[in-house]
Amino acid sequence: MTVSRNVRRLLCLAVMLVCAASGASALAQSHRPDAMLHDGFDGAAAGPANDADASRFLAQATFGPTDADIAHLRAVGYQAWLNEQFAAPQSLEMTYLDWVGDTLHEQVGHQNRREAWFLGALGGPDPANNALIHSDQLRQRIAFALSEILVVSDQNAQLAEFPTSIAYYYDILVANAFGNYRTLLEKVTLSPAMGTYLNMRGNQRADPSRNIHPDENYAREINQLFSVGLVMLKADGTPQLDGGGHPIPTYSQATISAFAHVFTGWNWYDCDDNGFDNFTDCGPDYTTGENWLHPMVPYDQPNQPNNGDPSYHDNGTGPNDLHSKQLLAYPGAQAGGVLADGGSAASDLQFALDNIYGHPNVGPFIAKQLIQRLVTSNPSPAYVKRVADVFNANRASPNQLRAVAQAILLDPEARYGQAYSDKYGKLREPLLALTHFWRAMDARHTCGRDFTQGGLQNHYANQPYRYAGYVTGWGTDDDQYGSGIAQAPMNAFSVFNFFKPSYLPPGEMTTNGLVGPEFQLQTESVIANTVNSVEGRAFYFDVAQVCDAGDDFGEVKVNHAKDLALAGSGNGGAADPADRLVDAYSKRFMSGQMSPFMRQTLLAYLNRIDSSWTEGVTDWRLWRIHTALYLVFNSPEYMVQK
Amino acid sequence: MRPDRRKFIRETICAALGGASVYSAFGGMKLLQAAARHDYGFTNYKALVCVFLYGGNDSFNTIVPISGAARTNYQLVRPNLALPTAGLHALNAPASGAGSPGDGSSYGLHASMPELAALFNANHAAIVANVGSLVRPTTKTEYQGGSAVLPPQLFSHSDQAAYWQSSPPSNAPVTGWGGRIADLVASANPPDIPILTSLGGQDAFVRGESVAGYVMNSYGPNVIDFPYELSGDDALRSAFDALHAQGQANALERTFGNAMRHSVATATLLQATLGAAGMPNFDGYFAGAGEIGEQLETVVKLIWAANNNVPGYSGLSRQVFFVTGGGYDTHSDQLATQGGLLVELSKALSGFHAALTSVSLADRATAFTASDFGRSLSNNEDGSDHGWASHQFVVGGAVAGKKFYGDNLAGTGSAQMPSLAPSDQNPNDGGYGQMIPTTSVEQYSATLAKWFELSDSDIDLILPNLGNFNTRYLGFV
Repeated sequence: MTVSRNVRRLLCLAVMLVCAASGASALAQSHRPDAMLHDGFDGAAAGPANDADASRFLAQATFGPTDADIAHLRAVGYQAWLNEQFAAPQSLEMTYLDWVGDTLHEQVGHQNRREAWFLGALGGPDPANNALIHSDQLRQRIAFALSEILVVSDQNAQLAEFPTSIAYYYDILVANAFGNYRTLLEKVTLSPAMGTYLNMRGNQRADPSRNIHPDENYAREINQLFSVGLVMLKADGTPQLDGGGHPIPTYSQATISAFAHVFTGWNWYDCDDNGFDNFTDCGPDYTTGENWLHPMVPYDQPNQPNNGDPSYHDNGTGPNDLHSKQLLAYPGAQAGGVLADGGSAASDLQFALDNIYGHPNVGPFIAKQLIQRLVTSNPSPAYVKRVADVFNANRASPNQLRAVAQAILLDPEARYGQAYSDKYGKLREPLLALTHFWRAMDARHTCGRDFTQGGLQNHYANQPYRYAGYVTGWGTDDDQYGSGIAQAPMNAFSVFNFFKPSYLPPGEMTTNGLVGPEFQLQTESVIANTVNSVEGRAFYFDVAQVCDAGDDFGEVKVNHAKDLALAGSGNGGAADPADRLVDAYSKRFMSGQMSPFMRQTLLAYLNRIDSSWTEGVTDWRLWRIHTALYLVFNSPEYMVQK
Repeated sequence: MRPDRRKFIRETICAALGGASVYSAFGGMKLLQAAARHDYGFTNYKALVCVFLYGGNDSFNTIVPISGAARTNYQLVRPNLALPTAGLHALNAPASGAGSPGDGSSYGLHASMPELAALFNANHAAIVANVGSLVRPTTKTEYQGGSAVLPPQLFSHSDQAAYWQSSPPSNAPVTGWGGRIADLVASANPPDIPILTSLGGQDAFVRGESVAGYVMNSYGPNVIDFPYELSGDDALRSAFDALHAQGQANALERTFGNAMRHSVATATLLQATLGAAGMPNFDGYFAGAGEIGEQLETVVKLIWAANNNVPGYSGLSRQVFFVTGGGYDTHSDQLATQGGLLVELSKALSGFHAALTSVSLADRATAFTASDFGRSLSNNEDGSDHGWASHQFVVGGAVAGKKFYGDNLAGTGSAQMPSLAPSDQNPNDGGYGQMIPTTSVEQYSATLAKWFELSDSDIDLILPNLGNFNTRYLGFV
């Protein structure tokens, strides 16, 4: 091990010398990061070999590298870090919301759910118990990725009324982020949030006399978006083609209709406890919201308390039922994908989910999207296949997604692919750029106060870990956060997420068939808002600012001054250059991938700044920090994580 | 410039068909294929302007019976909200037959709306009666019997606003019909000028499959507010621009740099356009017209610019604008609240027409109102609740005004103001005074799309439920 590391270092040194010797002037203008040729003598799992590699790994696996995390990862190595993450306690949104409601006695609203999301994403001390440190970064990052595949959104009017509906749902994703996809699919299917969002809750068997047909919404999306997709895939995620060169559909409308008939008969767990005996009149619990926190249950058995009502599940035996439902047919499908008549709602659901999960598309379909969310928008088919193979090899394992996460992150293409392709990487999502900034710059909630609203006391004074600032800006005209960056957790426009995995940005990427899902969010008007939002964080929102006494909720602020020592040690100007700051930011924010061109551009600007720049700041070096952050966070080289 | 966008659309299709990506929320493949196939060679300029009234405007207190059976019923069902006849501004539509309210009664506009009433009586505004979200024609019997196929989440603000804008949303309000129209006409316009523009925020109406709406403030574009430069020499801006200039090694970085430059360029272009030499001062037409007036004034400026060879803003043949106002959810204190809102709406719509008339462009633009839903006929103490169907206004030089339009359940394409009788005697009342639409949003939209000169088959693509209604076009424009 030691020997081979030395070999690699020597090799790197040699390569750099060759590059330097071959064209120093060309290098000065290069928009390409300096080559760091680790090509896997030790295998991809070894390392990280340097801070830049560590930062790059953390950009893929967490909500943004921090200097401390980079140092820790270097100390323990990839595998030990992953093992720590697999074992880290789960941060659950409901734990936070319960504290807000039960201990603080506040009215729990969507802003609290977003606070809970940021607590998990940013990590660090728990507001209820500062000794408890949230550190399950990888689990949270996978959960966030899953939330963009298995989408529910608080833009749905009914979910918007019940913040806990989405918190409970998100916790399913968190709890199963390292679990089994079949298990996850079932928990998602039976969650009241998904049941409400895609209309499986209350879905009932056909009744022509009342012109009722089973709703196809969930049947369609669980197939199209959550599991198999529209076309038959090879093991590497590329489409299978028929003799005429056309993609082969995975299923037909009749298949969707059959699934719709299966997904009938489910409703709130407490329909009768609410005093209702009628399936169709059963509703959410407006008093406590409790029935959002329990899986849906079937209402199809005569001995259930709604005895006397018709059974609402189509099991193939009723006069208007669909017989011998043909679900997905594929080699190896149980019973050829035909669901025998006479089952129960529960047993039929098991058959249907097994049928979906058993389809060979699921591995490459999910593997590719998880790779897109973590690593790169256009993975090679071979990379997709390697991850899909792990998915398939662990189909029966309760740790399936843990193995998948590891396979994604330790794949040679994840670790070294950037060195071999100018099409590598992904545009950072606005939320992930925001969490990165906040994590790396020691974000804290500051200001805010204890105030009464609607007869209830709110507690925002002296709460450094209640991340309320984002929340107050969202949905208002405030461009600094929320509406400025056009993304909030669990707030997608539709089940098609904030962006589609197949989105082709206009221009050369479309011409070359390169997808760039995250580009779909960056419309011309949103880009302008985003730049303005970066300005707010780069220049203002500092923990040293005096609080506005009238600010109820407070803001999330960062500690710009922590980088003062990096920004200069004398009086600035060319004699006291900003090299260390630029190099530190390249490492912290850009995985050491800042190109010579960008570095030169930044230094040319920052080295103008000297100790005469005192206007509006307590230390001239803050001008270097503010402007460096502004230029870095708006730059194409930062925005593309690669 | 024109071939570029067509080429882009064709490439999008080729890439989508050739690759694994055949995702679409909405049959968007068909739409894109149509856009690539169809070359709209427009020889004229037209603009569609949606004026969306968030909250659900109470149109039953906007267009009010003056005499006849409707007046009697109106006073009966709205004891706390009925407006007196004194002060109403009479609408001089035909008393019977085509263009009449269809119920033998006469109507006037709310006392706050003299300008719009005058515009109506001058033939430049029309009323579309009892229009709302429908999957297909729906009777009271079907609705109350539970056999009707209905739009999802009737009476819900977000869902019904989405329905009006998307037609239909299909539980995924990804694209609006304004956006889908823009998709189809994009190739007839220069690629670098926004043809789908919101002045009132992001919403479904201004999202297309391939065209993303450009969202502006009411007075102009969202611009990057570059930081204060202590050095005073724009060196920070120069560094910013250098990082986004061409030359990135990575394809995604180049694409982001292009997007950033385009964002800056678009904002710069629109700012320059709004301040172009020779731009008439339209302020006088929008006095007291509120936020909707401010937005419509900006629209007028852009329409003027598109028709007056403003550098960088010429060659346009079709544009879609989205203008919004809020506060119409009048559950309480309705008389005062709505009265104030309608003052501004009347001045804004009439100002829009007058401003365009002053520069001889009135027949190039059609403005139309839309809202989440109508309100319940039955009133609560001093307000009204969420309803379903409502009446809407269409304004412009191309409008065949001074008439009521609409369909009726017989599908004869005649206007039919709904009965205002108490619920149990009212064939239009679904219950609680929530009026069942007799004209669908699709028919309303299709009429506007037809004026935009889209082909019948393309209109069917944009509005997939239109075929459920016998009358495709209502003829108001």
